[in-house]
Amino acid sequence: MTSLIRNPLTIVWALLTTVTIASSWIALEGGASHRINTTVTTAVLLIAAVKAHLVIRHFMEVRHAPVWLKATTSGWVLALFALLLGFYFASL
Amino acid sequence: MTDVAEGSATGVDQSQRAAGARGHVPGESSMWFFVIGDFLIFGVYFVGYMYFRGQNHELFLSSQARLNLDIGAINTVVLLTSSLFVALGTAAARAGNTADALRRFWTALAFGAAFPLLKMFEWIPEISAGLTPGTNLFFMYYYVMTGIHLCHVLLGLVIMCFVIRNLKAPGTPKISFVETGATYWHMVDVLWLVLFALLYLMR
Repeated sequence: MTSLIRNPLTIVWALLTTVTIASSWIALEGGASHRINTTVTTAVLLIAAVKAHLVIRHFMEVRHAPVWLKATTSGWVLALFALLLGFYFASL
Repeated sequence: MTDVAEGSATGVDQSQRAAGARGHVPGESSMWFFVIGDFLIFGVYFVGYMYFRGQNHELFLSSQARLNLDIGAINTVVLLTSSLFVALGTAAARAGNTADALRRFWTALAFGAAFPLLKMFEWIPEISAGLTPGTNLFFMYYYVMTGIHLCHVLLGLVIMCFVIRNLKAPGTPKISFVETGATYWHMVDVLWLVLFALLYLMR
């Protein structure tokens, strides 16, 4: 049981859960008024990008995968969040 | 339990060494083509959502205020926890600890099954309140994207049952099948993480 807790996968999960709660708190506190808030949006989108990266790398085991798979998945995360933030800021 | 878990960690290391410098593709390559294809298709939806949101911030912000952030956040943790047990189960199966792998996959299935259940608790009050895909563009995106995602979850639960059947079968379980099922389930998790940020959190 102790080694399950110390397992690197469990540590990644603890991190993912913590930032999920943190991003919900950011939305509740900073975004309570439901008005445009660039700080909240940037924070929650960056947190989502980090979470997607962590799940792909550690749970999907891409960190041990060939370069083409690492490059494709990281490229997707980077391009997606760059486009999302780009469209968001362009629309303000 | 301690020894078994440590054994599974060692097993991962061994298989990593065996995979050599070129790396190891977890599961069938065909699943990865599907995963990347799905990432691209959902990517178009996500960017499309952001584009149309930019045309009418007020509508999206006021509609967003009517969502249940609590259930959204709980469902995120539920999927992350399910993914953790799938990853732990995969490591155990690879290390030859089939009993541990089975326990972890059953746990993952239980968490995974909670997701659609919670979704019903979320959707039914919303639909009863008159919020449907026809309400406005935000709710159209909301129901279509979470609906397509829910179909992925349901398929993932079926796949997980097949993984469990594979682990229960006499003889050595087929590890590539376990990895393929795991890859699909984690993809479902990744897509939800983006949906959660776009639909519930951003302002």
